[in-house]
Amino acid sequence: MEIAAIQTRGLTRQFGELTAVENVAFSVAPGQFFGFLGPNGAGKSTTIKMLTGLLEPSAGTIEILGQPFHASSLDLKRQIGVVPEGMALLGRLTATEYLSFVGRMYGLDHDTANRRAGELLEFMQLANEGRKLVTDFSHGMQKKLALAAAVIHGPKLLFLDEPFEGVDAIAAGMLKTMLQGMIQRGATIFLTTHVLEIVERLCSHVAIISRGQLVANGSLEELRVGVASTLPGAEADQKLTLEEIFLSIVGAGGTEPTQELSWLA
Amino acid sequence: MAGVAGLSHAHGVLSPQSRAQYGALARIRWIMFRNTIRSTRGALELGARIATSILFSFIGLSIATGLGAAAYAMVSHGEWTFLPVLFWTVFLIWQLVPITIASFQQQFDLAGLLRFPVSFGTFFVLNLLFGLIDASTIVGAFCSMGLWVGMVVARPGLFVWATLALLVFAIFNVLLVRTIFAWIERWLAQRRTREIVMAIFFLLMLGLQLLNPALRQSPNKPPFNAATRTAALHWLHEADLVQRWLPPGLAAMTLQQGQDRRPVQALGALCALGLFATATGATLAARLRAEYRGENLGEGPKRSEAERKGREWSVGGSGPIAAVFEKELRTLLRAIPLLYQVGSPIIVVFVLASVNRNVSSPSRHIPLGLLLSLAYAIVGFTQLIYNNLGGEGAGIQLLFLSPTPIRTVVLAKNLFHSALFAIVAVLVGVVACWRFGTPPPDAIAASAAWVLFALPVHLAAGNAFSLLMPYKINLSRIGKHKGSQANALLSLLIQLVTMGLGAGVFALCGWLGRLWLAVPIFVALAVGAVFGWMHMLGRVDGIANRRRDELIATLAKPD
Repeated sequence: MEIAAIQTRGLTRQFGELTAVENVAFSVAPGQFFGFLGPNGAGKSTTIKMLTGLLEPSAGTIEILGQPFHASSLDLKRQIGVVPEGMALLGRLTATEYLSFVGRMYGLDHDTANRRAGELLEFMQLANEGRKLVTDFSHGMQKKLALAAAVIHGPKLLFLDEPFEGVDAIAAGMLKTMLQGMIQRGATIFLTTHVLEIVERLCSHVAIISRGQLVANGSLEELRVGVASTLPGAEADQKLTLEEIFLSIVGAGGTEPTQELSWLA
Repeated sequence: MAGVAGLSHAHGVLSPQSRAQYGALARIRWIMFRNTIRSTRGALELGARIATSILFSFIGLSIATGLGAAAYAMVSHGEWTFLPVLFWTVFLIWQLVPITIASFQQQFDLAGLLRFPVSFGTFFVLNLLFGLIDASTIVGAFCSMGLWVGMVVARPGLFVWATLALLVFAIFNVLLVRTIFAWIERWLAQRRTREIVMAIFFLLMLGLQLLNPALRQSPNKPPFNAATRTAALHWLHEADLVQRWLPPGLAAMTLQQGQDRRPVQALGALCALGLFATATGATLAARLRAEYRGENLGEGPKRSEAERKGREWSVGGSGPIAAVFEKELRTLLRAIPLLYQVGSPIIVVFVLASVNRNVSSPSRHIPLGLLLSLAYAIVGFTQLIYNNLGGEGAGIQLLFLSPTPIRTVVLAKNLFHSALFAIVAVLVGVVACWRFGTPPPDAIAASAAWVLFALPVHLAAGNAFSLLMPYKINLSRIGKHKGSQANALLSLLIQLVTMGLGAGVFALCGWLGRLWLAVPIFVALAVGAVFGWMHMLGRVDGIANRRRDELIATLAKPD
């Protein structure tokens, strides 16, 4: 039996009386590009924080690359790369210094870390900005730098929390190419984003979380079939987009802004 | 401009909109305070804040009592010549307190308010009001009150002039301390102005050094003969001619003229003092206006590629300890506020040692001079040691994501801080020996042994505080971060205990006539302290992992 890249069972996280994530169980196979979706406040970032060791689960287990994972699993941490919600950048270093520092923290020797830092900055089209302080970078540039830092040690498993937010179209295309390249070379990618078009284009499997609970999990085609079976005949015959699937599962909700906020221009 | 429904366009500092904003801000601070004390840590912070206020009030009250008694004696005996000395004392205390306790200071950064429709007047007033909540204002206000009570009790007829003079004098001091900090921050933010400030500072130090022999009496001459007395009086007379036109002198002059029933002259002196306050306020306003307009304090044009390549350096080594060491060094070199904190003890020791120099016999050392100087040098490291994760910001997540244990990161930081302290301690030691006089070898050895004991104590406690009471540091602004009062107060207590223990052992061994005995005592204490530090280091991973959620929430939150 193939060892899952990520396996969770009964994953739960409570903040006082609030249950942010409840009894979440899913499995991500090696080499899969896995999209993890949900509306704002659904529990996506909480889940990714637990999967990367930034947050301790209240209950449940996590296995990464077939081994139990917790905050002190240092050998496993060497094999994963993360772009967390806050990007984990150090503003007072230059881009080159930051990448070199991250590489060394992940066990690369000084020369390898420096060489890879240069190559990554070149690839990310940040080579001319290598000596600029990270704090002076634009948001999009910081995102690219955070992604470069996440892959500098060549991880087998990559967690990306909103990596395309604030990134321009050219850079987004370049990042997509890089991520697809990693998948072709056998890496596993766990992605959360609100840009459903990206998930539809890149991800082979999708899970949807809503109000802390996993409400859908499977390949895009499986989700499509599942949602279509709940629709009336004519609608079910159309090929549903991921946005339609998502809205159908999570529910559109909300109020008509023009009715409630009539004072807005 | 077309109006926006519900928004007023009046911009005066007392306009309805400004008043509403003051009210909203006061209310939001009250709500934040109320929400803060719901948690155990918040309650601890409140307790620490109260304790700190009581401590500074007590210090202020003690000085105020002395100043009040001196003012009473001078005014009741009509010794007006020396009255300016009291005002100069208050002035120096007011302006020096923020410098000497820079590591414990915290201020509110009001730049976040600029996204709201806040007028410049309102922004200026809020900056002043929030600036009142600091130690220098507490101590300065008590000192001024002490002077007022002393003078009014001695001569009730001075009530009006004393009230007016001290009020304007207090306003001047509040404005000046804010102005100095605002401009220093501005000058230190950019390379060119930073270099100019450094050059002026070194010229000032050189000037002090050249001035000192002129003021110092020759050891070959009797200490007080007629010639030196005449020379001193002449010098004092010359100094008096200058000082009387400066704010402390003008405040004293107002009172003297008021007492002599010369209201026009008294009013003139008061107006001159008011002009100083206005000019200081205008200087502060110029700075705050730039901030209000969204000034960018980043570096100017970048250096050329060739020049930048020439400046590349590395500490070498591949492991995480070398990586963290290098990262800490790079960060420190780019964080002027931290450099200022670390370096300020050298300046303060130089100035205080020059003032207190053993002029009657320079060959004799001042007892405990070296020990106290080294103890004060540690004060500059308070924020670095007791909040060693505070500067990480969002980067704290990286420390938890990477396969390097937090223990290793903390160890590297401890090594870096120890190396840095060693450099500062040597500089402070050299300055102290130079100015206070070189102590005998046993005193030097005992002072060095005390450092070996005190440093691991601070590192061990600092590691615990950094994990249990962390706060985010804004590395680009002086004092503009919301610190942890509990952290500051407890670290101050630990510093006082280690310093007190050192002074006690010194005094005891000195009394026994065997100062060398302090060396083995401190070495024995140092062994215990090192074991304590190692024990704490062993627990770092456990504590950090248990508290990682709170650490990330506290340190990685956006500005």
